[in-house]
Amino acid sequence: MTAGAIWVLLTIIAELSFTSLNIFGDAASEQGEFIDDAFVLLMLLAIPILTFVITMIGYVFFKFRAKGDELEDSAPTRTHTKWVGFWLIWTTVLCLVVIVHPGYTGLLEIRQTSAEEPDLTVNVTGRRWQWMYEYEGRGVQLLMKDDTLVLPNHSLIRFNITAEDQDVIHSFWIPAFRMKIDAVPGLTTYMDVNTTEIGHFNDDVNFRVQCAELCGKDHSLMFTRVEVVEPAEFEQWITNR
Amino acid sequence: MPLVRGAIYAVIGFVIGAGISLGITSITGEDSTEPLIVLGYVFAVIGWLMGVGMWRTWGRGWFGKPTENNPGGGWERYIRFNTDHKVIGIQYVVIFVVVFLLAGLLAMLIRVELADAGQNVMTSTNFNTTMSLHGIMMIAVAVAIMMGGFANYVLPLIIGAEDVAFPRVNALSFWVVPPVVVLLLLSPLFGGFDTGWTAYPPLATQTPIGGLLFELAFLTFGISSILGGLNFIATIITQRAPGMTWGRLPIFAWAVLAASVISLTATQWVAYGMLMIIFERIFNMVFFSPPGGNALLYEHVFWFYSHPAVYIMILPAFGAELEIISHFARKPLFAYRWVVRAFGLIVFLSFLVWAHHLFTSGMGDELHGPFMVLTELISIPTGIVFLSALGTLWRSKIRLKVPLLFAVGVVFNFTIGGLTGIFLADVATDIALQDTYFVVAHFHYTIMGGEIFGAFAAGYYWFPKITGRMYNETLGRIHFALMFIFFNITFLAMFIPGTVGMNRRIAEYPPEFEFMNLVTTIASIGLGLAFVPWVYNMLNSWIRGPKAPDNPWDAKTLEWQTSSPPPLENFEEMPTVTGDAYGYGDESVVHSVFGRRKGSAHPPVPAEGD
Ligand code: HEM
Ligand SMILES: [Cu+2]
Ligand SMILES: [Cu+2]
Repeated sequence: MTAGAIWVLLTIIAELSFTSLNIFGDAASEQGEFIDDAFVLLMLLAIPILTFVITMIGYVFFKFRAKGDELEDSAPTRTHTKWVGFWLIWTTVLCLVVIVHPGYTGLLEIRQTSAEEPDLTVNVTGRRWQWMYEYEGRGVQLLMKDDTLVLPNHSLIRFNITAEDQDVIHSFWIPAFRMKIDAVPGLTTYMDVNTTEIGHFNDDVNFRVQCAELCGKDHSLMFTRVEVVEPAEFEQWITNR
Repeated sequence: MPLVRGAIYAVIGFVIGAGISLGITSITGEDSTEPLIVLGYVFAVIGWLMGVGMWRTWGRGWFGKPTENNPGGGWERYIRFNTDHKVIGIQYVVIFVVVFLLAGLLAMLIRVELADAGQNVMTSTNFNTTMSLHGIMMIAVAVAIMMGGFANYVLPLIIGAEDVAFPRVNALSFWVVPPVVVLLLLSPLFGGFDTGWTAYPPLATQTPIGGLLFELAFLTFGISSILGGLNFIATIITQRAPGMTWGRLPIFAWAVLAASVISLTATQWVAYGMLMIIFERIFNMVFFSPPGGNALLYEHVFWFYSHPAVYIMILPAFGAELEIISHFARKPLFAYRWVVRAFGLIVFLSFLVWAHHLFTSGMGDELHGPFMVLTELISIPTGIVFLSALGTLWRSKIRLKVPLLFAVGVVFNFTIGGLTGIFLADVATDIALQDTYFVVAHFHYTIMGGEIFGAFAAGYYWFPKITGRMYNETLGRIHFALMFIFFNITFLAMFIPGTVGMNRRIAEYPPEFEFMNLVTTIASIGLGLAFVPWVYNMLNSWIRGPKAPDNPWDAKTLEWQTSSPPPLENFEEMPTVTGDAYGYGDESVVHSVFGRRKGSAHPPVPAEGD
C-alpha cells in the first residue's frame, strides 16, 4: 500500500517536472515535430517504470532488512503465477503499444514522401571534411566550406546524398530538422524534410549540417551553416547567386 | 621464465613470418609493409604460445612425445601456460583489470579534452585515436571480464566439476589475449587509428598501420572468445556433478551457457569482417570500398556480431546479479524457470535485431519495421530479469553487503539503460538520436552500469573464495557509494547534449553544449577517483586481509562448499547434487551432499523434485 502510494507520488512529480521542462527547442520540420512528440511520449511511458524500480528498491531496503548480523531465512516463496502473468501481460501490452505508436505511425510519417514531387531538390556530396551542394535545376552550387545552405520555409525539400568515390562514409544530419542519413561512397541515399520554421545558425546552432559519422581527422568540424528563409526571400537569394 | 621465452620465440616467429612475406612480395612486386606485419604477427603469436608453455604441455604430444602438465606450483603458475581453470580465471581478471584502468585513464583524457568546446590538450587526430582505443579496450574488458574471468573461475566450481571440459583449450584462449593487448597498446606508436571501435570501411582500410594492428587485435580476440564459448558449452553439458539436473543448475551457470552460445556462434562474423578488411588492405581485394565493394555490407556483418555481443556482456552479469540477490536476500530466486526461459529468448532474439544500428545507414527503408519490432520485443524477456530481482527482494531478509549493493546497482542502472534502448529502437526517435551522445549515454548505462557493476558485484562476492581472504567492508561501501553517484551524474548528464544536438566522437563542439559537458567532465573525475579505494582495498586485502572462512555468505551453491581458495581440482570429496541451490527457508531442500570419492561411481541420485 505505502509502496504504491510512494510510486504514484514519485511518478506524478517526475512526469510533471519533465513536461514543464521543455528540453528541446522547436523542431523546424514536420518530421522533427513528430520525432519530438515521439520522444516525449516514450519518456512519459518510461518514467513510471523507472519510478517503480526506484520505489521498489528504496522500499525493500527500508522494509526488508535483516536485523544486525542474524542469519534468518525468508519465507520460501519461489514464484507466484499471478504476478508472473501480470508482469508478462503489462510488459507485452506496453511493448505492443510502443510498436504501434510511435513505432509504426513513425514509419508512416517519416521517409514516406518519396513519391511526392519536392519543391526543391538539393544534391549533396560529402568528402573529407566538407559538404558540397547543388540546387538541382536552379543553377546554383555551394562548394566552399564557409557557404551557408539556404533553404525555403514551408517546402518539401529532397536531399539526394552521396560521398565521393574514394572517400569514406559520412552522415548528413540537420539537428533542427531532427533528420539524418548516411552519405555512403558508391550509394545515393535520400532524405526528405518539410520545413516549418525559419531560422539561422547564428541564432540556433541546430541550424547546421553536421557530419554525424566518424570520418577521420576533422570530423567534428565538418559542418555547414543552415538558414531557412521564407520562399520569396529564397527565390531572391537564388537569383542573386 | 616462460614469459621471457614466449617473448623471444615471438620475435623469432615474427622474423620468420616477415621474411617469408618479404620473399613473396619481392617476387610479386607489391607494397611489402602491411603483408610483412600480418604474416610476421601470425608467426609471432605461434612463437609466443609455444614459448609460454603450450609446447611443453600440449605441443609435444602432437609428435608422440611425453608432455609435462604441471598445473600446481607457486605464483609462477600465473605467468605460464596453465590448465587450471582457477589460475586462468585469475589471469583473465588481472589482465583485464589492468586494461580497464588504462582505458579509464584514456577516458579521463577524453573528458579533459571535452571539458570545453575548443581544442584543449590534443589534436583531433590524437583525440580520435584516444577515443577509439578507449572504446575497443573497454569492449574487450566487457566481453572478457565476466566470461573469461569470473565464469572461468566459478563455473566449474558451481556445477561441481573438477575443471572445464577442455583445460588446454582454455589456457589457449587466455594466452592469445596478451598479444591483443600488446597490439592495441602499440597501435598509437604506429599512427593510431581514427575509426572508433566499429571500424567502418572505407575509413578503416585507409588508416595508418596502427589501424592494421587494431584489426589484427580484434580478430585474435575473436578467436579467444569462440574457443571460450565452445569450452563453457561443453563443460556445462558434460561436466555437471551427478544430480545437477537442468532444473537445479544455478542461474549463473545458465547465464554463462546463454552467453557462450552467442560467443561460439556470433563471433565468426566480426572475425570475417576484420579479415576482409585486412585482405582489402594487403591483397587489394575489394569487399567494402567502391567501386565494386559495398560499405553497407560491412555494417551488417559487423553488427551481426556486435549486437549479440552486448548480450555476451550483460547475460553473465545478470546471472551474477540474480545469484547474489538470492543469496543475500536469503530467499529462493523468484521465478527461476521464467528467467531461464527469458535467457533463451534473449539469445534467440539477439541474433535478429542487428540492423537497429543501421536505421540511418541508407539500408532499404523496408528493413526498418522488422528490426524495430524485433528489438522492442527483447524488452519482454529482459523485463523477466527485473521481475525476478525485485520479486526475490520482496519480503526477504536482506543483508546489505557490498556484493548486494552492486547487484541492486545493476537493477537500477540497467533500468535506465534498457528504457533508453527503446528510444533507440524506435525508428523515428533513432533517426534523431543515432550517433549522438544519447547513444553514448545509453551504452554506458547498459555496459558500465549493467555489466561492469555486475562484475564488481561478482568481484566482491567471490573475492573471499578466490583469494582466501576478506575484503574490507567499509572501503567497499565507500567505493560503491562514490561509483554509483558519480557514474549516474556523469552519464545522466550525457543524455542531454545528445538529445539537443551534440553528436558523438567529436573533439570540438559548438559552445552551446559546454555546460553539460563540463558537468560530465567534473563528475567523471569523481568517477575515476572512486576506483582508488577499490584498488587499495583489493590489493591490501589480498595481501593481508583477514582469512576468509570457506563459506562467509552461508550460500548454498557448490563453490562455497569447498575450501577458500579451493584445492587443485576443486573438491576434496566430490559433491552429489540433491536439490536446487535456492532452498532458503525450506529445510527439505538440500543442494548437495559430499562424500563421494573422486572418480568413484556416484550413488543413485534422487530424482528432481521441484
Ligand atoms: C533493452 C535492451 C536494449 C535495447 C532495446 C537496445 C537498443 C539499442 C539500439 C537501437 C542501439 C542503436 C543506437 C544507435 O546507434 O542509434 C543501441 C546501441 C548500443 N547498445 Fe543497446 N540496447 C539494449 C541493451 C543493450 C545492452 C544490454 C548493451 C550492452 C551490454 C547495449 C550496448 C549498446 C552499445 C555498445 C551500443 C552502441 C554501439 C555503437 O554504436 O558504438 N545495449 N542499443
Ligand atoms: Cu564525419
Ligand atoms: Cu544493438
